[in-house]
Amino acid sequence: MRIPVLLSLAIAAFALLAPDLVLAAGEEMATVLEGAPQPSRLDYPMIGGVSARTVAWSMAQMHLFLAAFVLAVPLFAIATELMGVITRDDRYDNMAREFMKITMAAYSLTALVGGGLLLSLLVFYPHLMGYMVKVFRGQMLIYAALFGLESITLYVYFYSWDALRRGNRKYYHMSIGLMLNTVGLTLMFIANAWVSFMMSPAGVDATTGAVTGTIWEATRNPLWNPLNLHRFLANIAYGGAIVGGYAAYMFLAEKDPAKKAHYDWMGYTSNFIAILGFIPLPFAGYWLMAEIYAYSQQMGITAMGGILAWLFIIQAVLIGTIMLAANYYLWSGLMRTDRGAQYAKYVKYIAVVIVGGFLVWVTPHTLILTADEIQRLGGTHHKILGPLGIMPAKNTAVNLMLVFTFMSFQLFYRSSRVPVVKWAKAGNMAVIALYAVGIANIVGAGIYGYITPTVYKVGASVPQVVSTLSIIIFAVIIDVFMLRGARSEKVHWGRMTERSQYALFVLPVAFTWLMGLMGYIRSSLRTNWHVYTIMKDNSPEAYIPSIGEAGNVITAITLGFMAIMVFVFWLSRLGATKQKGTS
Amino acid sequence: MPVTKWLVFIVALLVWAAYFYYMDQWIMATQGLPVGADMMPV
Repeated sequence: MRIPVLLSLAIAAFALLAPDLVLAAGEEMATVLEGAPQPSRLDYPMIGGVSARTVAWSMAQMHLFLAAFVLAVPLFAIATELMGVITRDDRYDNMAREFMKITMAAYSLTALVGGGLLLSLLVFYPHLMGYMVKVFRGQMLIYAALFGLESITLYVYFYSWDALRRGNRKYYHMSIGLMLNTVGLTLMFIANAWVSFMMSPAGVDATTGAVTGTIWEATRNPLWNPLNLHRFLANIAYGGAIVGGYAAYMFLAEKDPAKKAHYDWMGYTSNFIAILGFIPLPFAGYWLMAEIYAYSQQMGITAMGGILAWLFIIQAVLIGTIMLAANYYLWSGLMRTDRGAQYAKYVKYIAVVIVGGFLVWVTPHTLILTADEIQRLGGTHHKILGPLGIMPAKNTAVNLMLVFTFMSFQLFYRSSRVPVVKWAKAGNMAVIALYAVGIANIVGAGIYGYITPTVYKVGASVPQVVSTLSIIIFAVIIDVFMLRGARSEKVHWGRMTERSQYALFVLPVAFTWLMGLMGYIRSSLRTNWHVYTIMKDNSPEAYIPSIGEAGNVITAITLGFMAIMVFVFWLSRLGATKQKGTS
Repeated sequence: MPVTKWLVFIVALLVWAAYFYYMDQWIMATQGLPVGADMMPV
């Protein structure tokens, strides 16, 4: 099997023939230091009564949803495939192939919507696109070439699955998968460079926008890496949630107990992947926001101090929904094992923390009030609930919610294993002590934020994050040793209620809506600039849309995406359906 | 065994407390925010 080798050689040859394109090295300065175009209102094409912004927005958001999904699934498909090789269990391999089957159905739609996005940008915003091409030059050609390579590797990876399933051939197959993921991630990083450049331009003159630097300087702008990390993690969580929705769909549709068991296991694995991507996500988001503030305080205040701040309350509602749904699914999973019932008594305590954290997170700092209400309240802040509106309370709440979500997961995997090591009881005490001290540290750092200046308040959020991660990592390490050689209890895959599957439907819907809302915030931060402080948006729609208008547009896009996903799920099921009487 | 169990618990509490205490100090110090110089008026 020489395909991976040939593809590597092709990339190497491309790098040798066009080093400027690949490495952006040795690049000459633009010979004419022409500034960014400053189009007037009349320069923006008007086509009937069509809202240019809504068309470009819808296309961009839909493309992002689909791209996030098709880039993420191969990442955990290859991880699942590797699990199959390590455990020699064909179930992992079959599941990885099924993950990819769903991606295949969505891939052409991603390209189609991507084409639509490009077209809408060229038609409605030709000056902006002209400037972007001038800044990123050959990188756009690389993007196109990589897209071709992505298509080739994706098709080869999927269609060669059975031909390269055993022995050394399996490693060739995984190499193709690795290449597919490398190309996919590179595509995402390049697209992120363009988007983040529009927010925090680099490699250009700060006043005129004239291209003064290399492609690499424009690419490595201040917000590029925070956005890369945030999108990478979000894609994993999102992909897991959507595949979980597929598994739930199949679980409810199937009548055969064996197939139901398979889809229950797939749903559990997908939920695990979604949580795995989700746990570090708030921290990556926090870093992105901190970098936005560091780059431009005005931009940060637009996001979190003005009217857009209300969307962070909606964000809290949606993340709370995700947490509750994911936890509910894990609690329902306790019934898969006979020992699971003994852990059910802890569920109510976990639920109290999750709901409590959700309520703290959703509490706004400043309320929109009438003069009469302000008078009755004695100010714009509620005396008791007001302090819960600031970041130390929110950080404490989200960290505790994540710790207890991990605990729900821990209860499930412990329900199917009985430790046999002599020090099991002592080990449990060490884990309980870890939780107790770790939680105390998270709460303590939160209180510390109230009694110190702002700079310490912000700084104290980092030990909170590390405390959460420490609890998870140390608990897993202790469990790995404690459950070594543990007696396995039978897990009755398929022994799940049908209502638990609806929790798996909640996840992709909440994620999709959330991504749409947060995308609206991120994009709105540029206010009336195409490229922040460099190229002004003078189109008739150069204003931040109202929350109500944005809510309608985002909800319509979310519904559209969900309709596409249902179509993709149905298509995948149709492909596996055989007419009666055929073999 | 119950005595050993609770002994382990107390020792573990102390060990984890030390870990989190020094972790907090170290992280704040690396951010240029040494704990001890932090009690300025809010």
